Amino acid sequence: MTEYHRPTSRADALAALAAGGPRARPLVGGTDLLVGLRHHHDAVDAFVDLKGVTDLPEPVVVTDDAVRIGPTFTMGELVGHPVVRAWFPALVEAALTVGSVAIRNRASLIGNSCNASPAADTAPPLLVHGARVTITSLDGDRTASLDEFFLGPRRTLCGPGELVTRLDLPRPAPGSGSAFRRLTRRRGVDLATVSVAARVGPDGGLVVGMGAVGPRPLRTEVPGPVDLTDDTSLDRALDELLAVATPITDVRGSREYRLATLRVLTKRAVLAAADRRDPREMAS
Amino acid sequence: MTTAPERAIEQRDALGEPSDPYPQGQVGRPVLRYGGGDRTSGAQRFVADLRFPGSLQVALVTVPVGCADVLGIDATAARAVPGVVDVVTAADLPSPMPRFGVSHTDRPVLADGRVNYHGEPVAAVVAETLDAAQVAARAVRVDFRELPGVYTLDDALAPGAHRVQDPSLRPGHALADSNVLEEAHYTWGDVEAEEARTEVVVEETYTFPMVTHFPIEPGGTVAVPTDAGGLDVYSPVQHPYLLQRTLASVLGLPLNQVRVFAPDPGGGFGGKQNPKLEPLLAFLALRTRRTCRLVLSLEETFQSMRRAGCRIAARTGFAADGALTFHSVDADFLIGAYADVAPRVMGKGSYVAAGPYRIPGVRIDARAVMTNTTPSTAFRGFGSPQVSWALESQLDAGARRLGLDGLEVRRRNLVAKGEAFVRGESAAAADGEWHQSLEKAAELIGWGTPLPPGRGRGIAVGIKPGATSGLSQSLVRLLADGSAIVYAGTSDMGQGARTLWQQIVADELGAPLDQVSVVSGDTGTVPFDLQTSASRSTVFMGSAVLEACKDVRQRVLALYAESTGVPPEQLEERPGVLVTPDGELGLPEAARVALGSLRGEFMGQGTRRLRGKGKHPLGGDAAFYEFNATAIEVEVDRETGELLLTRHVTVSDVGTELNPLQVVSQDEGAAIMGLGHSQMEQLLLDEHGRIRNLGALDYRIPTFKDVPVELVSAAVENHDGPGPYGSKGISEGALLCTAGALGAAVADAAGVVIRDLPLTPERVWAAIQAAEAAEQDAGSAEGPARHHPHRSPVTEE
Repeated sequence: MTEYHRPTSRADALAALAAGGPRARPLVGGTDLLVGLRHHHDAVDAFVDLKGVTDLPEPVVVTDDAVRIGPTFTMGELVGHPVVRAWFPALVEAALTVGSVAIRNRASLIGNSCNASPAADTAPPLLVHGARVTITSLDGDRTASLDEFFLGPRRTLCGPGELVTRLDLPRPAPGSGSAFRRLTRRRGVDLATVSVAARVGPDGGLVVGMGAVGPRPLRTEVPGPVDLTDDTSLDRALDELLAVATPITDVRGSREYRLATLRVLTKRAVLAAADRRDPREMAS
Repeated sequence: MTTAPERAIEQRDALGEPSDPYPQGQVGRPVLRYGGGDRTSGAQRFVADLRFPGSLQVALVTVPVGCADVLGIDATAARAVPGVVDVVTAADLPSPMPRFGVSHTDRPVLADGRVNYHGEPVAAVVAETLDAAQVAARAVRVDFRELPGVYTLDDALAPGAHRVQDPSLRPGHALADSNVLEEAHYTWGDVEAEEARTEVVVEETYTFPMVTHFPIEPGGTVAVPTDAGGLDVYSPVQHPYLLQRTLASVLGLPLNQVRVFAPDPGGGFGGKQNPKLEPLLAFLALRTRRTCRLVLSLEETFQSMRRAGCRIAARTGFAADGALTFHSVDADFLIGAYADVAPRVMGKGSYVAAGPYRIPGVRIDARAVMTNTTPSTAFRGFGSPQVSWALESQLDAGARRLGLDGLEVRRRNLVAKGEAFVRGESAAAADGEWHQSLEKAAELIGWGTPLPPGRGRGIAVGIKPGATSGLSQSLVRLLADGSAIVYAGTSDMGQGARTLWQQIVADELGAPLDQVSVVSGDTGTVPFDLQTSASRSTVFMGSAVLEACKDVRQRVLALYAESTGVPPEQLEERPGVLVTPDGELGLPEAARVALGSLRGEFMGQGTRRLRGKGKHPLGGDAAFYEFNATAIEVEVDRETGELLLTRHVTVSDVGTELNPLQVVSQDEGAAIMGLGHSQMEQLLLDEHGRIRNLGALDYRIPTFKDVPVELVSAAVENHDGPGPYGSKGISEGALLCTAGALGAAVADAAGVVIRDLPLTPERVWAAIQAAEAAEQDAGSAEGPARHHPHRSPVTEE
C-alpha cells in the first residue's frame, strides 16, 4: 500500500523521506511521477507532498545578483515572472514548451530537474545559465552545479532521503544574451526530438546546453570571442560545442537526423542569443 | 464581440455561400449543438462516468508479443489477491469458443490458445475493486511460446509465411491457405490499347501508414445481468442494434432480452462501430451474476482499433493534353488479425481507386492482407484516403512531366455531373457539380498567384461512396402542449446528429426548438437504426424523421377533422401548419384543438430503407458520394524538414447545409484529422509486433497549435442530395485528399516528392538531403553546383 505524507515542516518532510528509503519520493506537481506510476514505470512506497510544507525556501526570491527558486515554483509562475523573463529569456522560452498550460500550472521547475529526463526542456537553459542546486537531508545541505547534478537518464546527485530545496540562477553578466530552440514532431505538446539553449557571453564566448542528444542534458562551452559573422569561425565553434553529443535512434528521430538538426538549431540559437545582447554592454 | 462559431458562419456568408431554404425556420441555421453545453462544461456523462454501485471491475490479461501459442495460464496468485472474484480464461467459456464478426465470424470472445495480435486478451480478472483487478491481472502467469508472427505486408505475403487465420475458419475458400482474406477486382476499358495513345506513363509505389482513431473517450463496457436472465449492456457504440444482435447471437438470447444502452461516444470515427470486448463482458456478467465494468485505457483503445495501412503500386497514363488514358492499380491493404469490417474497407476503397476522373482504361486489383496486428476497422474515409493518396500523387507526377499544373490536370479529367467515373458492370456516375468544388478551392487558395520562396501549393480532390444499403426508423411524438420528442437511434458521437433532428422537427411540426428533445442510445425504447456510419445519418435518419413528422401531421389533420367536423378534404397539412378553411393554424394549436379535453398525443413513424443490390460489389449503389477539393499552401524549413501550413482550404459538395455551423465543424475536424495521417500519425511496431508508440506520448495527433495558420472551409450547395431538403452526408469529405494536397504542396515548395506517409519533418528533411546530394553529384560532374531551392527541378524520390 502506498503511503501519502503531507508534512508541514521541512524536518518532517526529510524524516518521512529518510524513513521511506529509495522508494519514497517527494511530490510537487506530480506531472512526471503520477504518469510513471500509472504506466508502472515507477514504483513508489511513499509520497512526501511538499506543497503543505511552510518552512521550505520561498518559491522565488530575487536578489541583486541572482534568482533563487524554491521547490514549489511552477513552470506557470516562471513564465510569468518579470525578472525571470528579463534575465533568462532562454529559460522562459523552454518552459513555455513544457506540456500545456494545465501541465505548466502544476509542474515545478525543481521537480522537472530532479526527474532528470535527457530531453527535459528546461535543462539546457538552466545549464547555460549556470544553475546550482542545494540538496538537503537530515545531515544538512550540500550544493552542486546542475551539470554535476545530472548523472544519467533519470539519475541525479539527489539520493534517498534527500531533497532539492533550492535552485540558484546567477544574474547574467551585462552584455550576454540567451535563446532556446527545439525540434518536435508537432507544434503543440510534444517531447523534444532535439533541444538546445545557447548563451553568448559579454566576451563573445559561447555556452550551449543540449537535450535529447545524450544520456543526460549536456553542457559545453567555447571561450570567446567567436566571430559569429564569419561562417568558418562559427562552424569551427559548432564543431567543438557539438562534439559531446551522442544521440540515439528512437521513435522520435534517428541519430543522423538529430545530429544534423542539432547543428541547425544550435546555430540558430547562438545567433538569436547574440541578437539579444545589449550592444552597449558588449565586451566584444 | 462575435463567437468563433459566428465568425465561421460570417466567413462563409462572406464567401457568398449558404442560401437559406427556410428563412423563417431552423433548418439552414447555425443552431448551436444539442447538448453542446454539457459536452463543453464536462457535465455530459460518458460511459466511464456512469455509476453502478456494487459492480465488479474487470482487468484484461495479455502477453507481451503479437503472436504466440498459449501453453498454460496459472491464476493461483491472482486468485489470492483480496477482492478477486474470478479469473476467466478460454477454458471457462463455452466450447467451441464463441466467435463473432461483421464480415467473417472469426473473432473469439477470448484468445483461444493462440494470441493473434499484441493486446488480445487471454484472460480477464473480475474483482471488487479496480486496484484488485489490475494487481491480480499482473499476477496471472501466462506460459506462452512466441510464434513467427507476420507484421508487415511483405512478411504476410512471403511464401511459407505464418498463417494468421486458421484455414478451418474459411472452409473451401480459395484463399483459405494464405494471409489474403479477400480480393477485389474492378476493370473497364482496354488498358493495353489505351497505352498506345499515351504520352507519359507514371509508375510509382505509395504507402499509407497504420493509424489509430484516437477518440478522446477511450470507451468501455458495463454488462448488467437482469432478473429475467438477460442483459443490459452499456457501451458507447456507433451501432447499438448491431451490438444487440451480436450479443443475442453469441449468448443464445432473444433480442428483447438484450438491451443496449449506448451513452454518447466521445468520438468514434468508425472505431466504435463493431463489437469488440462487449461479448466478453456479457459472459463475465452472466457467469458472476454481477454487474461487470471495464473502462479502457487509451493504450487499450490503440490495441482495439486502427485504420488499414496500404501499399499501392500504380501505373498511370496521360495523353499529351493531360487527359488520363489508363490507370492500373495493385492495392494491398494491411489489415489485422481478425476481419472486422476490413474486407469491405478494401473493397469499397479500391472501388474508387480511379477517383472521380474520366479514365478510359482501368484495372484495379486489391487485397485485404491479414497480419498479426490490431484488427483494422472502419475509419473516417473507409479506404478512400489510402487510394486517394496514390492517385492524386500520380496526377501531380503526370502533370509535372507534361508541364501542367495541379489544377489544370484535374480540370481536364474530372467528370461532369451525370458522367460515369466507374464504368463497367457496376458503374457509378457523378451525383454533383464537382467542378464547382475544385474551382472554389482554387479560388480560395489564390491558385496561380505568386508565392515567396520556400512556399508551395498543392490541390487535390477525393471521393467516397456513401452507404450502399440502409435502414433507419424513427418515432416522433407531438405532445399535447406542442412540445415534441424524437426517437432516433443514431449515435451522437460529436457530429451533432441530434441537433439536426431537433431542427427538422421544429420546422416540420412548428414546435419551438428548445421544446424538441431527442431520445437515442437505448435499444429498449428507440426504434431500429442499422448504423451510424458512412456519413449516412443526415440522409437516412433525417429522412425517417421527416417522414415521421409528416405522419404526425396527417394524424393531426385526421383527428382535427373528426373533432371539428371540418371535412378532411378541406384541410391540408404543410410543414409547421394545418391549413383550414379559416386560414393557417400553427400545428401545435391544431393538435390542441384536435386532441380536445382528453389531451393525449400524436405518434408518427418514419422509415428510410435502401435495399442493396445482390450483384453489386459494394452491395448496392451508393446513396450519395462525398466529394471534396482541398488546397494547401505550405512553407518548408529546408534545414529541419518542418512544415508550416500557411493556408488550408477545403470545399465539400454538401447538397444543402442543414446546419452551416455543423458543416464547418465537420469539415474543419476532418481536415485536421487528415493532417494527422498526412504529417505525423503512424503506428510503429517492433519485431515482436508490439506497438512502439503505444499511447499519447509518442503517437502524435494534431493539436490546435498544429492547425494551419489559416483554415478555410466552404461548401457547394446545389440542393441535389437524396437527404432532407436536398442534403448529402458530409462528415468524411475533408480528409479524403488532405495527403495528396499536402504532398503536392511540399513538392512545389521544396522540390521533393515523397510517396510514404506521414510527411514527418525527418522524412521531408531526408528527402531534401537526398535531393541536394543528387544535385551536387550532378553539379560536380557538369560544373558548378546550382542551388535555387524553389526553382530546382522536382526530384522524384
